[in-house]
Amino acid sequence: MGSPVKDVSIPENAPKTLLLQKHCDYIAAYGSKKDEYEYCMTEYLRMSGIYWGLTVMDLMGQLDKMNKQEVLDFVHQCQHECGGVGASIGHDPHLLYTLSAVQIVTLYDAQDTLDVEKLVQFVKDLQQEDGSFVGDKWGEVDTRFSFCAVACLALLGRLNEVNIDKAVDFILSCMNFDGGFGCRPGSESHSGQIYCCLGMLSIVGRLHHVNADMLGWWLCERQLPSGGLNGRPEKLPDVCYSWWVLASLKIIGKIHWIDKEKLVRFILACQDEETGGFADRPGDVVDPFHTLFGITGLSLLGEQILKPVNPVFCMPEETIRKAGIKLELLT
Amino acid sequence: MHGRIKVKTTAEQQETKRKEREKKLKLYNAATGKIFDKRKNKEFDDDLLALTGEVLAQNSDLYTLWNIRKETFLHMKEIKTKEEMEKICNEELYFLESCLKGNPKSYGTWHHRCFVLDNMANPDWKRELQLCNIFLEYDERNFHCWDYRRLVVKRSKVPIEEELEFTTNKIHSNFSNFSSWHYRSKLLPLIYPDPTNPVGVKEEILLKEFEAVQNAFFTDPDDQSAWFYHRWLLGRGRKKMVISCLYASRPQNRVIVSTSQPVLVGSNHQMEVYLKDVSIEGSWSNVAGNGSPYSRLWISFKFCLTG
Ligand SMILES: [Zn+2]
Repeated sequence: MGSPVKDVSIPENAPKTLLLQKHCDYIAAYGSKKDEYEYCMTEYLRMSGIYWGLTVMDLMGQLDKMNKQEVLDFVHQCQHECGGVGASIGHDPHLLYTLSAVQIVTLYDAQDTLDVEKLVQFVKDLQQEDGSFVGDKWGEVDTRFSFCAVACLALLGRLNEVNIDKAVDFILSCMNFDGGFGCRPGSESHSGQIYCCLGMLSIVGRLHHVNADMLGWWLCERQLPSGGLNGRPEKLPDVCYSWWVLASLKIIGKIHWIDKEKLVRFILACQDEETGGFADRPGDVVDPFHTLFGITGLSLLGEQILKPVNPVFCMPEETIRKAGIKLELLT
Repeated sequence: MHGRIKVKTTAEQQETKRKEREKKLKLYNAATGKIFDKRKNKEFDDDLLALTGEVLAQNSDLYTLWNIRKETFLHMKEIKTKEEMEKICNEELYFLESCLKGNPKSYGTWHHRCFVLDNMANPDWKRELQLCNIFLEYDERNFHCWDYRRLVVKRSKVPIEEELEFTTNKIHSNFSNFSSWHYRSKLLPLIYPDPTNPVGVKEEILLKEFEAVQNAFFTDPDDQSAWFYHRWLLGRGRKKMVISCLYASRPQNRVIVSTSQPVLVGSNHQMEVYLKDVSIEGSWSNVAGNGSPYSRLWISFKFCLTG
């Protein structure tokens, strides 16, 4: 009897090849529609939006289509006196957007756009007594913020500025019976959260704390008959989870535990032939967020036309290498 | 954007939608413009609450507006009477409930609710637990709500036995409830600790759980939740820390140690080797050569083994 498996079916006429140029055009055009409703309504995450757009363009080899000076001017204007960066001009500083800003200036090899000393101090001040990080002065704690803090500092070469041992202890206090991680101690495992915790442990070289076999099992069970991956048991598949889950599997050396061909088919089916871009599921409306994670997923799965993506920073591998960052990955 | 199905529309429909959005955008820009001006001028008043409320009701992810609301609250706390503040807070909780009904997965809204309750003189935690029950009825996998529930339980000291009972009921009404199984894995070691294992659960309880989870996957063998829980019940074995191999070479002055689990060897943690009760000098490096202070294989060159 049992409950039916939650999944989607892929329509016969869904795209089966990578529509590279359409995606480039879609992303390039997105930023030029600044007066449009959709664009204005997402102002509260603009900094991340720009990072998504630039990263996906770079992976597709077309970063030069983006307006570098305009972007860097914008990033500069979003940094506050306290050192933190807001999502947009006039929006409050937060770790999420601070990481996006650091990723952007690293992509452009222009870290001097930001006041790095102040930024490091901002990140440092957000670490709590128990090793956790709050996202901003209002005190929300989340393992996502631990990743943001450590990733920021690693990109700036300043990891030694925070208490790594305590930061690791906090991450480990969020580990669950299934080997995964949640937002806070006691929270249920979630693929996005697992990615952040593994990424954090990878940056600081402490992946041996992870039970890779158990977690790998939970992660590879995210694949559904359609080929797509979901974020938690009994949920629908979604292109962004093809990234969170796949990158996590890559970090713990188990990417071969999923069916690559089926996942590629699912990701390709989420493209929109008319507009370019990827949606969360076949037939849904596209957006830059899922476009990035569609492309990064394909890159991790070995699509040759794309630049290799780094599984921890979600940036081109060559950028991370140039920055001289060493990561731990399990084999 | 999640779960928005693309629908084919006629040119006429598109035009109507465009006009509608244009109007909405104008209102949004006017409201946010006013809000930021008022903040700059430190006008933390009822009007600011009304303005931010209007926008947040439409889009609860605008984190800066929640911050402005918090600033307004903290300002009002300074100048209003206790009774006035009580009323404002209760109105806020009512407002938040309506926001959550529109978007039950907004980080900002749930966090703001914690903020309001932590700033109330006499928060009604029973009502909050009731709210969690309602939202979990509506979506039993909403992890924001589960996390909020754990906060409420902690703040108001709800007996955890009652929480275990809650998960039992949830699982009885639907076995396929990973969130509830997860919660049990957190509660059981607290309620029935194993005296021989600091993170374990009493044997007789584990056996009962084992029976319950078997019922779950006999009913629905395709459901993953029960299988993961089953794996947890069984997999309590822990690898003991032992030295699995030690290799010493006199001609090469070299010692290699391999352990069953990674060990920390660094500035404050040294590994010492004794030869006939005499400690031998030497420095260790991790065989992977990646500088990590944790490894299962350590090698030391320049050991003086001739003594
Ligand atoms: Zn998604």
